[in-house]
Amino acid sequence: MTGRSLALALRGFWYLLLVFLYAPLAVVVFYSFNAINSSARFAGFSLTWYEQLFSNDAIIGALLNTVALALTSSLIAIVIGGMLGYGFYRYRLRRLSWLIWLIYLPMVMPDIIFGIAEMIFFIAIDERLGILGPGLGTMIIAHVTFQVPFVALLVNARLLALDPQLFEASQDLYASPWQRARFFLLPVLSPAIVSSFLLALTLSIDDFVISFFTAGPESTTLPIYIWSAIKKGVTPEVNAIATLMIGSVFFMALISLVVQRRPSASSTTNRSASS
Amino acid sequence: MSGLRRDTRYLLATTAPGVFFIVVFLVLPSAYLVAMAFLSNGPYGLPTAPLTLDAFRELAGFGFLGWSPGNLYTLIRSVWQSLLATAIVIVIAYPAAYYISRQPVRWRAVMLLAVVVPSWTNQVIRSVGWMNIFAPDTVVSDLAVRVGLTEPQMGLFPSQFAVIVGLVYNFLPFMVLPLYAAFERLDTEQVEAARDLFASPVAVFRHAVFPQTLPGLMAGTVLVAIPAFGMYVVTELLGGGKATMIGNLVARQFVQASNWPLGAAGAIIMIVVTLIGLKVLRDLGRRVGGDREVLL
Amino acid sequence: MADPAVGSPRTESAIRVDATSKSFERGVRAVDAVNLEVGAGEFFTLLGPSGCGKTTLLRLLAGLEQPDSGRITIGGQVMDGVPPHRRSVNTVFQSYALFPHRNVRRNIGFGLEMRGIDAGEIDERTQRMAELIGIDGLLDREVAQLSGGQRQRVALARALINEPDVLLLDEPLSALDADLRGRLQLELKRLQRRLGMTFVFVTHDQEEAMVMSDRMAVLDAGRIVQVGTPDAIYEAPAALFVARFMGHQNFVPIHARDATGVETPLGRLEGAFGAGDHLLLRPETIRLDDEAQTVPNCFEATVEERLYRGETTEYRLACGGLRLLASRANRGQPEHRVGETIRVGVSPHGTATVSD
Repeated sequence: MTGRSLALALRGFWYLLLVFLYAPLAVVVFYSFNAINSSARFAGFSLTWYEQLFSNDAIIGALLNTVALALTSSLIAIVIGGMLGYGFYRYRLRRLSWLIWLIYLPMVMPDIIFGIAEMIFFIAIDERLGILGPGLGTMIIAHVTFQVPFVALLVNARLLALDPQLFEASQDLYASPWQRARFFLLPVLSPAIVSSFLLALTLSIDDFVISFFTAGPESTTLPIYIWSAIKKGVTPEVNAIATLMIGSVFFMALISLVVQRRPSASSTTNRSASS
Repeated sequence: MSGLRRDTRYLLATTAPGVFFIVVFLVLPSAYLVAMAFLSNGPYGLPTAPLTLDAFRELAGFGFLGWSPGNLYTLIRSVWQSLLATAIVIVIAYPAAYYISRQPVRWRAVMLLAVVVPSWTNQVIRSVGWMNIFAPDTVVSDLAVRVGLTEPQMGLFPSQFAVIVGLVYNFLPFMVLPLYAAFERLDTEQVEAARDLFASPVAVFRHAVFPQTLPGLMAGTVLVAIPAFGMYVVTELLGGGKATMIGNLVARQFVQASNWPLGAAGAIIMIVVTLIGLKVLRDLGRRVGGDREVLL
Repeated sequence: MADPAVGSPRTESAIRVDATSKSFERGVRAVDAVNLEVGAGEFFTLLGPSGCGKTTLLRLLAGLEQPDSGRITIGGQVMDGVPPHRRSVNTVFQSYALFPHRNVRRNIGFGLEMRGIDAGEIDERTQRMAELIGIDGLLDREVAQLSGGQRQRVALARALINEPDVLLLDEPLSALDADLRGRLQLELKRLQRRLGMTFVFVTHDQEEAMVMSDRMAVLDAGRIVQVGTPDAIYEAPAALFVARFMGHQNFVPIHARDATGVETPLGRLEGAFGAGDHLLLRPETIRLDDEAQTVPNCFEATVEERLYRGETTEYRLACGGLRLLASRANRGQPEHRVGETIRVGVSPHGTATVSD
């Protein structure tokens, strides 16, 4: 009896939690269709804010910057991070513990310090050498730096989960080093590479602080645009922009669900086959 | 290169680009930032020689007008707010993770995703959501007025309350995931053994369930408390001046006040406190987790 | 080496290992100055407890480790510095190591694909190999859908299809349950005879080694202690270690000897025994009761335990401060209870001696 009421209480708690998790997002989406600029009173459905948004070149520019930053940095990060994860796995028996600390560093460093340190560094380099002036380039560098450890750890975890004899089997079956990469490593790692690409994208889109401090005047991204709109007290299209970003995140969530489903589906069949 | 063994060449080739990025674009800049704390604040807010400890003295509260505790309070408030948020996160995440782990397998991934997806949206947008909810005259604010939590027309933000809500909202998934992992691999035979040995439900939880979830709890605490301490966006948007944390103090020296050495000194304090926090949590985790490594 | 006729192969050698050593970082000599010859078409087993170096020796043959010193010759070619993918040697791994991203068919064809053999031929050879091993029904399954025994067969097919000079098998049956294991032992043995291929098999299970091998080598601490046919090794172990490892249990120390017999804790035993310092009494050669009278050496022992095993009954006996295990086929003889004193006889015939 107590068991059943506990189960009921837990279920109720779960629904409350869902409300807590989604209310802030739902409110943003809801009021983005409000005819007036208010989050207290809904004055009727309208697409005013979206019309304003799409006719605002600054916002379109910010959108393009956001996408370019996320895609470029993620692509670079999966290459560099994937290699790092592999190297760290392959040579894990050597004295490489300092390397794991280096990998953890970007993850434990507070964003704000990360961003400020890069800002002053880029400024100093720019002053002396005239390169790395703040802009999309510095933002990409900064994003890659914090994405690389996550990719490396994901790829490394996947490698650690593999039967180490697989590596030997591929050698034993006449695969040359290149063939091993092409016919064994890449296919085996592809789920990890896809999910680390998605993670890198998410990290890039989620980031505000580091982008904020490494951005130049021409490389405003959507979060930076929203931030400065709030700071200036001008907020009409903010909900509409936010809604677009929320929409894209849900789209990515859907993709990741599909991606996750595939291996999990095959692993359930395998469980039923072996039992 | 030709003198190196082939192994070593491969090792260098695979790890060098990643190591290069982290060293050049994080370690070096951080070292530069640390060095800056020992410079003087020049006339235009830019750091110059001579080397001095002035920035630290100023950070500790010694100014033209004698000592003021403002910065010290900010540091204490940062620690306090991140601990409070962590405690609330634990209270919410523990039953949630348990509930998810008891669901049919095919639902669990979806439920976990439901918990995680909001954290994929941008931090700024999440805060905008709470700003919408806590604005004056909204349903939630009206309710708060009626209960007597706030004045009419005031709204619920900016306030320390809004900051704590924002922190909890931001970091909840990072506690749910490791706790879920702990619940999922819970050894139910231990629970049954405890029941078999006459333990009451409370005793079963205390002796057979809780100890098994402690490693997950510790991992979650690291993932929540450490970044919460360094939070910038939530405090800036939801706290106004009322719940300033050390991250805001540091950023202000670079963005508005242009006192870089002071900001750099603050950054050093932040890094030191973060490292102490990591060490304490790690040692605690080692003790409760037995021989199993907790996170780091 | 007791008998040179079984210490070296009867045919031309498929593998020669000369004075080969391999140490690991902590200074452990995993393989210590090993000399070994395996004949073409032989089923050869490396037997020993875990950590004896048998797997390292196998990996040296596969090219997965490089020796510190010495020379390995396979099929007449010196293997110095030859990487695994250029050796005509294939391995059946302990974990089977089937590629999770490929189905059964593409697993089996992997080696041929890597060697650039055209798709049509790969298909045809895969089909033939699958039929030979009895897995042609599984070709389009995913690896995750296979049972342990099926995986083992796929791993075997994947190695054999390359027609290597030598097939290496690293405890390939250890993950299977006893029943399946027994069946696969026979299958593997028959397959090897049929193909006439050289198999080098690693195991820590002496029964498995005896059932399967033409010849075997017993390893301890990186060294080969004895090489020979299973019966030669079982009946005349070259060392106490080998005797223990092969399952012998009754070791009777010899204190003194003269022309007509030996002095032991059991008393004086008449007869011509070997030159070793321990007698090796096999449980089934110890005579009990009336039968004890028919052999020259007869004494009394106390029954400490009686274990009924169906075909046989085992008695654990205490005698002269020693414990002996005797085993007797059940043919309706009177049973003895614990605590009873019975007569025990030991014949010099078929009783080996062993030295440490």
